[in-house]
Amino acid sequence: MATIAITVFVIAYILIASDRINKTLVALCGGAIVLALGIIGADDAFFSHETGIDWNVIFLLFGMMIIVGVLRQTGVFEYIAIWSAKRANGSPLRIMILLVLVTAFASALLDNVTTVLLIAPVTLLVCERLAINPVPFLIAEVLASNIGGASTLVGDPPNIIIASRAGLTFNDFLVHMTPIVLIVMAAFIALVPLIFRGSFDVDPARVADVMMLNEREAIQDPRLLVKCGLVLIAVFAAFIGHSVLHIEPSVVALLGAGILILISRLEQRDYLASVEWETLLFFAGLFVMVGSLVKTGVVEELARSATEFTDGNGLLTTMLILGVSAPVSGVIDNIPYTATMTPIVSELSASISDLAYPDVLWWALALGADFGGNLTAVGASANVVMLGIARRADNPISFWEFTRKGLLITVVSIALSALYLWLRYFVFG
Amino acid sequence: MHAEDMAEDFPVISIDSNALDAARMLAEHRLPGIVVTDSSGSPYAVLPASQVVRFIVPTYVQDDPSLAGVINESWADRAAEKLGNKKVHDVLPEHLIDVPAANADDTIIEVAALMARFRSPLIAVMKDGKLHGVITASRLLDAALRN
Repeated sequence: MATIAITVFVIAYILIASDRINKTLVALCGGAIVLALGIIGADDAFFSHETGIDWNVIFLLFGMMIIVGVLRQTGVFEYIAIWSAKRANGSPLRIMILLVLVTAFASALLDNVTTVLLIAPVTLLVCERLAINPVPFLIAEVLASNIGGASTLVGDPPNIIIASRAGLTFNDFLVHMTPIVLIVMAAFIALVPLIFRGSFDVDPARVADVMMLNEREAIQDPRLLVKCGLVLIAVFAAFIGHSVLHIEPSVVALLGAGILILISRLEQRDYLASVEWETLLFFAGLFVMVGSLVKTGVVEELARSATEFTDGNGLLTTMLILGVSAPVSGVIDNIPYTATMTPIVSELSASISDLAYPDVLWWALALGADFGGNLTAVGASANVVMLGIARRADNPISFWEFTRKGLLITVVSIALSALYLWLRYFVFG
Repeated sequence: MHAEDMAEDFPVISIDSNALDAARMLAEHRLPGIVVTDSSGSPYAVLPASQVVRFIVPTYVQDDPSLAGVINESWADRAAEKLGNKKVHDVLPEHLIDVPAANADDTIIEVAALMARFRSPLIAVMKDGKLHGVITASRLLDAALRN
């Protein structure tokens, strides 16, 4: 049974990585095969926390997708982005830095793909007015999105999977991930003038064109904005107050989405427009396939081999997880990678005894998977979406143009992460 | 009555033509739409006038309509300028390429069904593998009511 489970999983993984067949179809077929062959049963697939579909992940994503769907109708991010660009007084470097900061902040609250979809049109508008090439701006924003998304539980899908599987709270992410994200962001902004040098020359006469943009016009419905703002504040307050309220993030997101639907009075097609059904089904298929590896003992065996390889050394295991996660996530989608790694890291956390902070392995996985998304143009969904937007706007970004910049930022962010993990959890821990 | 009896001569534009010429043709003749032909002269797409309006909307506004109001009046008035260096195939929405042509012997119902299904204000009519003419919605209704 273990051999069949491994074979199904490896074939599915190769097909997902090759991107030649729809990845949702592959994940569902893989899940269907292990179910049909009896490797995993209905109880294991639908009702087990260890081997089944992680409904917390599915419903947290679903709830947040609806909230984002309503939030997008307000135009608030367009307002903030244009307001920021105007505050830069037409200096392209300052505009890039401000848009990068807006993107990173938005990515911490929303998923990265949504953030990119919101920020890219504004960027194209501003760059067109300045008559400058938007490509460096779009690349910088997607890199910032992948960095910023790492800071919170809801910022990046790998974090949602890790939080659910490891029992980590929203505040755990704020305490352990946000500091290193701020450090990496500071390093990234310091590198921006160097990485994108030659991209900031502008005709001073064009600056007035940016200053004439009227950001207030982006707000279509001020009442909806107020309602959304209140619900969003309540949702994040409930995330932060988990230790007091004891309401799971998935339930909070669903309640927030439900309240927003009721008070916004939007049409069904509007609030469901941002729900990515394919992504949710992809997750479901993936969890069933990974569950079959757990059920057949493959994961336990892999964890035992990893422990033997590192000789139970906590620091070495942490660095191994970080060092492997970044390049793997950069080449293939970081979602299936994280879904596969979580049961292995869970076993490792339990088996390695010299860890003062057993959760350090989870932070290594999260940092590697999140920052690794910047490595190549296909490392994260947001990268692929941004490349598509750029192509449609007649400003195509080549794979290597992105990867040259992404590789540098990934190396810097992983090096800083390694230093952070070592100092915080091993030297001063 | 068959499609070939209803078909009228109608201006067509090549897919390699300048997009500004296509927009100008629609504006000057007040046409409900236009048939785009490929390099061999066969119908490639039916382009309703409402879709030609998209030509002058920047892609970033199509992606995010809330940005339309952000652009000031003087700049918005110059929106058509960007069409000058684009060809029709650069601005043709993909979903309009699939509108099929009617056959010369199609009935009124067949042509009407085609028009309704693809929400197209005009349908090209093919005869012996060549473009025979075009049926507009008003021409179709006229023919239907006359019978």
